[in-house]
Amino acid sequence: MSVPAIPAIDVSVTATGLGHRFAPGRGLESLDFALAGPGVVAVTGMNGSGKSTLLRIVAGLLRPTRGSCEVRAEGRAIDPPQRRTIAGFAAPELAFYDEMSVEENLLFAAAARGAGAAQEAIATALAATGLEARAKDRIAALSSGLRQRVRLAFAILHRPALLLLDEPGSHLDGPGREIVERIVDDFRHQGLVLLATNDERELRLADRRIELRSRGLGDPA
Amino acid sequence: MILRVVLLLWIAGSLVAGFLWAPLVPGLGPTTRVLYFHIPSAWITVVALAWSMVHSILYLKRKRLEHDDHAASAAELGLLFCIVATVSGSMWAKAVWHSYWNWDPRETSIFFLLLIYGAYLALRSSIENDERRARLSAVYSAIAFVTVPFLLFIVPRLYFSLHPDTIINTRGKVDMDPRIRTAFFAMLIGFTGLFFWILNLKVRLLRLERSRAEQAAV
Amino acid sequence: MPTGESNFGAAVWAILRKECRTEWRTRYGLNASLLFALTTLTTVSFAAGRLGDRVDLMSAFLWIVLLFASMASLAHAFVREVDGHTLTFLRMVASPAAIAVGKLLFNLVFLLVLEAVTVPLFFILMDAPPPQWGRFLALLGLGSLALASTSTLVGAIIAQTRSRGALFAAVSLPLLLPVMAAAVSGTRNQWQNLSVRSELGLLLGFTAAVLGVSVLLYDHLWND
Repeated sequence: MSVPAIPAIDVSVTATGLGHRFAPGRGLESLDFALAGPGVVAVTGMNGSGKSTLLRIVAGLLRPTRGSCEVRAEGRAIDPPQRRTIAGFAAPELAFYDEMSVEENLLFAAAARGAGAAQEAIATALAATGLEARAKDRIAALSSGLRQRVRLAFAILHRPALLLLDEPGSHLDGPGREIVERIVDDFRHQGLVLLATNDERELRLADRRIELRSRGLGDPA
Repeated sequence: MILRVVLLLWIAGSLVAGFLWAPLVPGLGPTTRVLYFHIPSAWITVVALAWSMVHSILYLKRKRLEHDDHAASAAELGLLFCIVATVSGSMWAKAVWHSYWNWDPRETSIFFLLLIYGAYLALRSSIENDERRARLSAVYSAIAFVTVPFLLFIVPRLYFSLHPDTIINTRGKVDMDPRIRTAFFAMLIGFTGLFFWILNLKVRLLRLERSRAEQAAV
Repeated sequence: MPTGESNFGAAVWAILRKECRTEWRTRYGLNASLLFALTTLTTVSFAAGRLGDRVDLMSAFLWIVLLFASMASLAHAFVREVDGHTLTFLRMVASPAAIAVGKLLFNLVFLLVLEAVTVPLFFILMDAPPPQWGRFLALLGLGSLALASTSTLVGAIIAQTRSRGALFAAVSLPLLLPVMAAAVSGTRNQWQNLSVRSELGLLLGFTAAVLGVSVLLYDHLWND
């Protein structure tokens, strides 16, 4: 079930005074770090400390209100709108089109990205997440655990150099969690993996940790 | 403080001049005096809209909430002056044209501005998050900015052809009595000063409210 | 690695196909709009009766019916993405510009389908005189394009507010007034066998302006 190895892409993420404010007192605290791939970095912190926010900013989905977040691939800075081409993103709030099947959703993603060899990439992603038998099922008919697998399949579909996984183990059963581990292991040598989680098993996958401190709720232990 | 007193005296002076010193236009009678309120209000309506749109575009470029404060405050004041202009114009129309409303091109244009202001403020009130509200309302403002000129172009065409017999000329403004002109321009300057003074107050108020909310949250 | 222009075209095409497919499978947008158009049409023709030669009223009614029917559904394109939480998925696979253009094309297709049903019915129910086909269809086409381009942009804004659909008509109407005015005046003129060139020019200019400003604004549409 392992995916064919491709040469590692040199990716780095650098945050300088990075912060995001949703409303007074809510959001991400000022943050500084420099990460370079390949490798796996865990982002931890209490609920509300901004883990998801940080991943969305890195993915280019959210514009920080303070500071900057720079993503470089092969030495070239990637602007936020372009990051979708190098980043794979899975988060609990990511949803797919209910009226279409798993395969159709992934085909749409591949077609919209203009990627070649879509069928092959989809077959690989479905195999890696154990969804082959469910390919023709509509999203509406899937359980929450299976939907989480579709999120993972979508995140790895275009072999991203930067893999952003927000709570990848949520809703997953034992075999599902093994899938997460396998995916992270596959990607750790060819790119940078950011893992937002507080789960002990997933934390063991990481080479490094960033701990976010939430404001107003006291320091996490 | 001194500026405020000067502004007050200036407007009071212009009012006295308009009512006691300047003559009436023959044929218009006492309705001449609506000129001192109506046209300055219409002028401020346009100034406020322009101010609001310029700051909206500046917000999109620089992403600083102060620009949004300016855009929002100017729009709120613009709506107020727009209502004053519409109502005073309508009252004048009743006196002179014997009808409160007849979709004359100018009435249509100001009504349209009223709708734009209303839509902009309604949009603002339905978004909670500060940054999102600023961003989306600025985008709306920019769309309105490019569509307004089309209406100003089409309206006279359309309504002229629908009502070929409503011939509305300039309100005897071409050969305005010099005293009327003096009082009128004094009033125009007074209104402009009033607008920027209130605008400044509103912007400062918004800034204070935000910094207080920020402090309360820490 | 996908790059450049071909990618933009591919993304727009993929989004258009996706929209058509999801709409076809549920059809609630189309059904609702057709019913809405029918309701408005019935109300107008019932209330006004047969207007015969009153082409000035007829052209106004025609565009009111079309405006109402389109208002009922054009906001949907983005509201559905937000309600279904699929906007993140969409944003991860396509650029904001491709999303905007894909949605615009879908809205245009949607409007044309709606008109293909509504306009013939209008002619039958209102007993309208036969139009000057060339001018009439040009007005209808450009009017729809102007309607679709404006409502796509406003729909993208509205989808991110609290009230969603409720505000859509109120917020897009002031922007659409020039379109309505030009379309009504042009439709009347073609019935009276007059020139519609300036109306077509206005609709075209309006559409160009809205599309131009959309291109400048699309990066600001979804940023949080």
